[in-house]
Amino acid sequence: MTVLEAPAGTKTLLEVRGLEVEYGNVRAVDGVNLHIGTGEILGVAGESGCGKSTVANAIMQILRPPARIVGGSIVFQGEDLTGKSQEDLRRFRWRNVSMVFQSAMNALNPVMRVGDQFVDMMQAHERISKHRAIVRAGELLELVGMDKRRVRAYPHELSGGMRQRVIIAMALALSPELVILDEPTTALDVVVQREILQEVEALKRDLGFAVLFITHDLSLLLEFADRIAIMYAGEIVETAPSATLASAPLHPYTQGLLQSFPPLTGPRVRLSGIPGAPPDLRDMPSGCRFHPRCPHCLPENAALHLRQTSERPRLRETAAGHSVACHLVDA
Amino acid sequence: MAQLEPTALDLPLVAARRGINVGRIRVPGWLALLLRNRKSRTGLLIVAFMVVVALISPLISVAHPNDFNILATRQAPSWHHLFGTTDQGSDVFSQVVVGARRSLALGALAGALATVVAAVLGIAAAYVGGIVDEIVNLLTNVFLTIPAIPLLVVASGYLKTRGMWTMIAVIALVLWAFEARILRAQALTLKNRDFILAAKASGEPTWRVVFGELMPNMISRIAAAFVLVFYIALLVDSGLEFLGLGDQSATSWGVTIYWAQVNSTVLQGEWWPFMFPSLALGLTVLGLVLVLAGIDEVSNPRLRTERTERRSRLAALLGGKAFTR
Amino acid sequence: MRWFARRLVFYVFAIWVALTVNFLLPRLMPGSPIAGLLQHLSPAQLAANPGIVQTYEALLGGGHHSIWQDYVTYLHRIAHFNFGLSTSNYPTPVSEVIGRTLPYSIFLVGVAFILAFVIGTGIGMVAAWRRGGFTDSVVVPAFMTVSAFPAFVLALLGLYFLGLKAGWFPIQHAYDNDVIPAWSWTFVSSAFRHAQLPILAIIAAYTGGWVLNMRTVMVNTISEDYVGMAHAKGLHDRRVMTRYAGRNAILPPLNGFAAQFASAVGGLVFIEIVFSYPGVGYTLQSAVLGNDYPLAQGILVVLSVCVIVANLIMDVLNFVLDPRLRTA
Repeated sequence: MTVLEAPAGTKTLLEVRGLEVEYGNVRAVDGVNLHIGTGEILGVAGESGCGKSTVANAIMQILRPPARIVGGSIVFQGEDLTGKSQEDLRRFRWRNVSMVFQSAMNALNPVMRVGDQFVDMMQAHERISKHRAIVRAGELLELVGMDKRRVRAYPHELSGGMRQRVIIAMALALSPELVILDEPTTALDVVVQREILQEVEALKRDLGFAVLFITHDLSLLLEFADRIAIMYAGEIVETAPSATLASAPLHPYTQGLLQSFPPLTGPRVRLSGIPGAPPDLRDMPSGCRFHPRCPHCLPENAALHLRQTSERPRLRETAAGHSVACHLVDA
Repeated sequence: MAQLEPTALDLPLVAARRGINVGRIRVPGWLALLLRNRKSRTGLLIVAFMVVVALISPLISVAHPNDFNILATRQAPSWHHLFGTTDQGSDVFSQVVVGARRSLALGALAGALATVVAAVLGIAAAYVGGIVDEIVNLLTNVFLTIPAIPLLVVASGYLKTRGMWTMIAVIALVLWAFEARILRAQALTLKNRDFILAAKASGEPTWRVVFGELMPNMISRIAAAFVLVFYIALLVDSGLEFLGLGDQSATSWGVTIYWAQVNSTVLQGEWWPFMFPSLALGLTVLGLVLVLAGIDEVSNPRLRTERTERRSRLAALLGGKAFTR
Repeated sequence: MRWFARRLVFYVFAIWVALTVNFLLPRLMPGSPIAGLLQHLSPAQLAANPGIVQTYEALLGGGHHSIWQDYVTYLHRIAHFNFGLSTSNYPTPVSEVIGRTLPYSIFLVGVAFILAFVIGTGIGMVAAWRRGGFTDSVVVPAFMTVSAFPAFVLALLGLYFLGLKAGWFPIQHAYDNDVIPAWSWTFVSSAFRHAQLPILAIIAAYTGGWVLNMRTVMVNTISEDYVGMAHAKGLHDRRVMTRYAGRNAILPPLNGFAAQFASAVGGLVFIEIVFSYPGVGYTLQSAVLGNDYPLAQGILVVLSVCVIVANLIMDVLNFVLDPRLRTA
């Protein structure tokens, strides 16, 4: 098992150990370990279907049937979430951890005014009059750069970018310690993407929350995240500070990802992708899940090959803050 | 009388699975799917049962349904007369069993005719668009607005003969609009799919695109439409017969209930001439509704109630939740 | 607003079609309509009602005017609410007969169908929210089974078991035989008591459809992002179910209500007949069986208009409840 220690100087806010989530009989998340320190930005990157959104939903305890947590623990500020009562969880949600959903278009109730959706949420967590709540909603909208009169608008009257801002404002309304961004910018164009992320960064500096940033776009993480975890087929395969990951990636999958997008500066390099496709969750490869696509898994190296195809690699720390699950590194 | 309306949403298309082999019998893909789903399996069994009863009715009916027997009138169910006798002494069991033929046939044929009209008009209108679409749409909406039963009541009142084919035609004429709207809506969503555009671009004539490309891809929805109109026609037809507007000399469920009502048997406490045909009717409709629900579930996986493990099934029963924890 | 105007134009058109169908129906049926009618009348009746042949001719054709003339006269009369004279209640005008019976029907339909809708959608909402729970596994199939039976069957069942055997409810007519219709407490309470069984029958017959419909829509709505977000925001479970999921899920069934109203009117006919409830449905059947065509046609027109009015009300309601329509 990895040593789960927060970087020096920060307290551990959230600790996920050995998380296992199943959809019916299919295991979507198979032993995930993560930790986030206060005020830190942790990015989780991976292909579609690797389970990253499932991890986010599990942390927020909003998994829908048939998904359910079947193993592991999620410890937030020292308390294990998996043992809490329904009412405690209800109070925990949004107040301690909030989430910015993937498509803001659909995350707002179409038949309620934007302001009312703020009021709803505030009144669910504290005693506050509707009037005061609306005023606060207006202040929050201004915080994300919108006109506070928009509290009276219906979602369909706002543009996509505006709706995303509303969602962000809502996520910050109760000053949570952790904000989960689940592919927050996928549906937006590049320019708006950048604006939104810069705003989130600025807000983070002001308000001091930690961020769990989930995306398939590694380039975004390299720029915005403090630490990055790479996820593949329901497991974490590598975790490292961003700079280290960019300069010295250890796992072949990470290396493949980094080589998949061209650098804007410097000489032209050959783009190499990762051959093959992610495995079917119902039919996992034995041993290392990445081995069918790994350029370093060759039958010639018999002993290594045997390990790669039969034994699942464990996440081990190789340097300060840098963990990898790979037989090549162990060897 | 559309008490059980179709779902408000269009059904997504079912990709036809290849057939499977049970022993040496080859079961077509669609049937396998329906049999696998619990709701439609039950429904199909019920309907099949009714059809079999209707088919073998001459063999199992004890007496001719219209046999009068003054000596044995108004008898409660007994071993001699399983379902009792009417006020004229006719055997109710025979009436129900033989009546199944006419009721089912009428319902199925009216349903089939209405579905064909609805499919052709709805889909063609959706594909062709323009003024044709406007007209068909208008027609559909008008037929949906004028209340069906009163219209049928008045129309039947004018009819001199009320033979089977006339009834089928009249009922189909009023019911086609139900499904035409839904089929048109789904055809509209398919219209701009690549395979249709490709067919159009390669010069296929309109009728070929509609019948050869569009309709075959809407089979599941058309089948659902047929099931729906079938049971509505069944209800409407027996309803009309109950009102005395059907063919009173024929043998069918509605007519049996009509005579029961007219002769005030219910008010005199004789429940059997009315109860048994009603049960037959209700059971058949229930079967069809289940088949429809099954088709819904097969097409839309979200509707399926997940089979939870045995341990947690009790917990689920006592308070199933929309969200886990 | 423009969409509204379009709907209005359509409704006017629909009324016109209803009127025209009404006009053409007897003329399109095989055989001469008059001949069949005259057969039913005895010479004594003919002598006693001298104008009857003219009335019929004007209404059904076979007279000496051209069809266009007849049509124009017909439309003209309708515009003045003159539906002719009822032959079975000669010489009462049709409009008076309808005026006497329509309120009872509206009362029945108004109360019963709205209740069926409210109860049905409520059950459907809860059933979808708690999948596999008691409501979903027991209540929904129960309603489905009950609603599979035609309305008249359920009415007869109710009549037999609850009315006759248990004696809980009065079984016939709209009010006790010794009560005079008036705005008095005796009348109103009597009318209310008599309406209970028909209302119950209607609810039993029609709730199941709403349950299924709402459940399906709700299941799809639950998987929407905004419902997930509401849950994530830490809102109370019931609030998410009603204000977020339910409030959105109800829109398609509400649309369906207007469309269903036409078949609801059909079911009304059966219920009234079983309970001998003197509404327009009951009157329609006796009119048709008694060859009182002016009355039958008049009722058909009035019913069509009722359906259209109901549709109109639903359109307005839809407009109010769905803000997305307002910016059109």
